[in-house]
Amino acid sequence: MGLRNSEIYNTFIDGIWDENPVTKQVLGICSALAVTVKLNTAFVMAMSLTVVAAFSGLIISMLRKKIPSNIRIIVELTVIATLVIIADQILKAYLYDISKQLSVFVGLIITNCIIMGRAESFAMVNPPHLSFADGLGNGLGYGLILMLVAFIRELLGSGTLFGFDVIPEFLIKFGYKNMGIMVLAPGAFFVIGMLVWLKNSITGIDEENL
Amino acid sequence: MSDKPSKRYVFIFTFIMCLVSGLLLTAASTVLKERQNRNIEIDKQKNVLKSVGLINKEVVYSNSDIESLFKENIREYFVGPSGEILESNKNANDLLQLYLYNKKSKLVSYIIPIETRGLWGKIKGYLALNNDGSTIVGFSVYSHAETPGLGGEIEQGWFQDNFVGKRIINDKNSFVSISIAKGRVKDAISEDMKDNYVDGISGATLTGSYLSKGLSSILARYEKVSVRFRQDYLKNRPSN
Repeated sequence: MGLRNSEIYNTFIDGIWDENPVTKQVLGICSALAVTVKLNTAFVMAMSLTVVAAFSGLIISMLRKKIPSNIRIIVELTVIATLVIIADQILKAYLYDISKQLSVFVGLIITNCIIMGRAESFAMVNPPHLSFADGLGNGLGYGLILMLVAFIRELLGSGTLFGFDVIPEFLIKFGYKNMGIMVLAPGAFFVIGMLVWLKNSITGIDEENL
Repeated sequence: MSDKPSKRYVFIFTFIMCLVSGLLLTAASTVLKERQNRNIEIDKQKNVLKSVGLINKEVVYSNSDIESLFKENIREYFVGPSGEILESNKNANDLLQLYLYNKKSKLVSYIIPIETRGLWGKIKGYLALNNDGSTIVGFSVYSHAETPGLGGEIEQGWFQDNFVGKRIINDKNSFVSISIAKGRVKDAISEDMKDNYVDGISGATLTGSYLSKGLSSILARYEKVSVRFRQDYLKNRPSN
């Protein structure tokens, strides 16, 4: 299959699996702890970050030959910050409740190491279509982990999924209780730690490159 | 890129960069402003409704649901210098704002807007009092900058439900306000003061003490209205 071996496809898949920003590179942990109490906030956060990652990659890559090398970090940051603020404004206009729950964390996408890291190490040296795919892959890779963590935390911590009750009545009658720790930050640490472990035991760790 | 770019080029590039992103941000903000303001307004109305218990936590409300619910039940008034309630006034800016909740043209409760200092920023919300002028019906917060998980708990249900049924006066009918206890009311507060305190948030003593101070000074400003409500309530109460 042409698709499976194409450069775009590989770049995209690298971000989601092999080079997953959270489980492989351990980036973006701060926001992964903060917004994963509920699935719907995690989902909106994941989508916002993906859009910002993809478009900042695209824009920076298109400009990469024009950007003066001595101010490149500032330029990258300007592009990212502009995109993030626009995303934040759109959320405030169309998804006000969720944007209130995400509070500062949408704004903090600007400082998310995933975006800056991809801009500096990938978009500055690769053509636009690949950079876009790379941003998309990394964003979705981050989003995938975010959703997994939020799924586990919301299910065990609040007994709901996307806000709907999923714990059957009879279990509650038998004395089922929600796990309080899952709602707090330590719960997220445990879950993320286990996901890193799971991922590394599936793919194996390349000790040479550690 | 190996050559060092000329200063001139760097300046021109930066200038264009700033111009473009500035334009984009201005455009986004101008186009979306109206919608955002409407959202903020509806969020405020929702919190007024929440403070008097008209919002069911299980139900999802659309924007127009909130607007019609607010219109049906809540009216905005102002408080005159001696505690009289005015429809509206040309000096409305100097007057205290007040909302009344009427059910079938009978006054159920009055709602006082709260705006006070928190630990990190302003805390804004509503405190609803029963028509007896002393019992709290509910408390809600729509904007704050406290630390999530610590002071930020003020926006949580358990903290706000705390206020329901508490009183702003003591047994001798004199005004004492409502305060946030350090720890739990049943451990930290003496028997005769239990009605005037709500459970505090662990790890957020300062947020609690700022909120207590703020509530006390705001309630003191509204005390003249509350006194009127208390007198009316006693007058209208069926004698037995």
